Amino acid sequence: MIRRLLRRCLLGLLTLAGVSVLAFLLLFAVPRDPAAAMCQKNCDTARLERIREEWGLADPVPVQYLTFARKLVTGEEGCPAPCLGRSYVTGEPVGAMLARALPVTASVVLPAAVLWVSSGVLLGTVAAARPRSAVDRLVGALSLAGLALPLYLVGAVLLLILVYGTATLPPPGWTAPSADPAQWASGLLLPWVTLGAMLAPGYTRLARAQVGDALSTDFVRTAEAKGLTTRAVVGRHALRASAGPLATLAALDVGAALGGTVITEITFGLNGLGRTVIEAVRTDDLPVVLGAVLLGAVFVIGANTVVDGLQAAIDPRLRR
Amino acid sequence: MTLALVLAACAACTDNPRDGGTPPDGDIRQNTGVIATDPAASRGPAPEVPGATPGGTVTIFRETTLARLDPQRISAFMGLSISQLYARRLTTYADDGNGTLTLVGDLAETPGTDVRGDCRTWEFRIKENVRFETGAPVTARDVAYGIARSFDLTLSGGPTYLQEWLADTPQFDTVYDFAADRTALPPGVEVPDDRTLRLSFPKPHCDLPFAAALPATAPVPAAADTGLDYDKKPIATGPYLIEGRTGDTELRLVRNPQWDPATDAVRHAYPDRFTLSFGADPVTQTNRILAAQGADAAAVSFDGVPPSLISKVTGDGLLRSPTPRHSVLNINTRRVTDLAVRRALNAAIDREDLVKAVGGASVARPVTTLLAPSTIGWRDYDAYPGPASPAAGMPELVLAHPDDAEGQILGTVLANSLRRAGFRILTKAVPADDFLADIKRPDNPWDLYPDHWAPDWPSGAAVLPALYDGRGIKATGGNNGTSYLDARPLDAEFDRILAMPLDAQGAEWAALDERIMREYAPAVPLYVELTCTVRGPRLGGLFVDGVIGSPAFVNAFVRP
Repeated sequence: MIRRLLRRCLLGLLTLAGVSVLAFLLLFAVPRDPAAAMCQKNCDTARLERIREEWGLADPVPVQYLTFARKLVTGEEGCPAPCLGRSYVTGEPVGAMLARALPVTASVVLPAAVLWVSSGVLLGTVAAARPRSAVDRLVGALSLAGLALPLYLVGAVLLLILVYGTATLPPPGWTAPSADPAQWASGLLLPWVTLGAMLAPGYTRLARAQVGDALSTDFVRTAEAKGLTTRAVVGRHALRASAGPLATLAALDVGAALGGTVITEITFGLNGLGRTVIEAVRTDDLPVVLGAVLLGAVFVIGANTVVDGLQAAIDPRLRR
Repeated sequence: MTLALVLAACAACTDNPRDGGTPPDGDIRQNTGVIATDPAASRGPAPEVPGATPGGTVTIFRETTLARLDPQRISAFMGLSISQLYARRLTTYADDGNGTLTLVGDLAETPGTDVRGDCRTWEFRIKENVRFETGAPVTARDVAYGIARSFDLTLSGGPTYLQEWLADTPQFDTVYDFAADRTALPPGVEVPDDRTLRLSFPKPHCDLPFAAALPATAPVPAAADTGLDYDKKPIATGPYLIEGRTGDTELRLVRNPQWDPATDAVRHAYPDRFTLSFGADPVTQTNRILAAQGADAAAVSFDGVPPSLISKVTGDGLLRSPTPRHSVLNINTRRVTDLAVRRALNAAIDREDLVKAVGGASVARPVTTLLAPSTIGWRDYDAYPGPASPAAGMPELVLAHPDDAEGQILGTVLANSLRRAGFRILTKAVPADDFLADIKRPDNPWDLYPDHWAPDWPSGAAVLPALYDGRGIKATGGNNGTSYLDARPLDAEFDRILAMPLDAQGAEWAALDERIMREYAPAVPLYVELTCTVRGPRLGGLFVDGVIGSPAFVNAFVRP
């Protein structure tokens, strides 16, 4: 088990190195000149050249990558490893910018994930336990509708009704949870509910299918024959047998969402990783874009590793 | 017609100048300016704002975070506006919100003394009792150090006027290396004593008192300078200091107990705090302020009201004023050499159509002058009222525009306007990222292209010589004047007006504006942008800054 995890971690690091090369080449090979953005009103060629020299932009792209990789591993003065370089716009270390944005994104994603996974799986399981019933049909229709509605529409409508129209909820916003937990929760309630409602249908449909399949297997029939209650059969046996695919989907969704929930953040006006990346792209702030891409890759690779661990914990056959 | 209707609709809901009343004509703002040489005008406290009461929190919404706080690195509008609250400069503007601008001493006792009357040597005497938030007195050396650090290319982003004027070259960092010796001062900067700062320039710069109003002249204690990290929390000298930030979501300013209102002729400190809230887009900002729940009742949108929501803003919530941001269709005079063609191009453009296309009267106002109406001394005229009559056999002209949404609209409307008048126009969509750099090269292959200019101070000196003095054209690119007008007869005129006392320059620049248009027609003036934003019902004392065209917060107060 430990060897398996170590192997996955090593593979993850190699994947990350590959992502960093690809992302660097893609971003830095595009014909943009960040020095022009840094140069000011009376900019001329000589000053452009000096800025390029100062920031290492005059070097060939492979040399720039090696410099970036060296800083990533060894750091530099004022930017300890893993140093992602400095923003072209502000000169601030990219790591510090991402560290500021991450708590916002994590505050939106993690509680919403609890909502979307738990509600989605619960509804799917209930529907699977009563196949072809009215409940099953209602859940199916609702989940289909949920999948069809885009978040930016539902979010905007809920904002108009619940925040601006009826003042039922406070305007969305982020407060540090350590400073005021109640305000943190109230400011994020609407994004949680919306994101949860938008992603839950996928889990509902997967749980409906997986649990439904499990309920038609021999071991479930054996359990029923032993006289176990429906709740025990579904909860202890069918749901556990379906947990692998559901955990895989949940971990990948959370990993990807932590990399930046762009639409959610834009809809609700939250400055998390998604917004940071959008703004960095707009201002040609390539080190920030690159840093965010790498952080997103870390989350996805990390989520994969967690999935491996979870699946091994759920399915004893994988531990061998 | 649309313009007239929207203007009429907004007549009763226009802006709120510094005295809290309604200006006689909120939509047409023409600055008149004076230099307050009497030290009494630079002393505080600033006149009380009627109805203002202390206390409360002002919330300022903006979609994107404030990129920079370091005063030496600020050039964007929000930075210029917010830094006024925490970073005092050598000079600043007393703005009545209706168009009267008075340049006063801020850190300095007066807006500067022209020692020999030739605009080459200027002295500033630092006021007594001006302190940093730490309690340390502000000295002339702190101001000199602030100017010195602006020579460091690592700390880029701010304006470069002072550096270039002192070094007498755009390559100012080759003349003075700040990083090599931080205790040395740049050429021309002297500190004879703790309260005197002397700036000497190889060439006359009568505009210096205006340039000194940019936050680049804010003092920085050398011991507190942490280079790029200074941006996180610059040491305050104004009525507010930076309390802290929450991620990229919120920046909080609270009162600075070391600020002495008796030293400040411009600012107040009515609210307990300012909260800058980042993330919400303009639609959300407007909706929140209109809903006016809780703190949003004392909020203002920095990004402005989207045209689609203008009709929802009623009462006196709309804050609206023309800005100095001026758009033109530049004519590449190196390629379009026939003056008759340039004149005909001017007569051909339908500005009303254009204003409608870019968003209507809520975002733009047509102009026919090279100077924006907010320029001191501006005089209205229309050298080519039309209709256009292009002669037969004119060459086909290439109109380039950025290949983005705004550029496509501009390109299409301008081309249609010209075609209707009989011109043969070929449009060329240029990748938006390259557009500016491309038109700034004098050998660019296009005849016409839209461009815009936002001067850093409200004088013709920050516009006409910067854009139309042919001696400044750089063959290597990076030109601001992209019509590349190179007219020798104008050289002496630029020099003559630049050497005049500031008070006398306004009318001269206005006359030169008209002369350039009538004799050379290097561009087609199009429109000035308007600030059109909304504030909550409990927020008072806001006005649109006559210099940068953004909301000004120095008189802001929260109604109980």
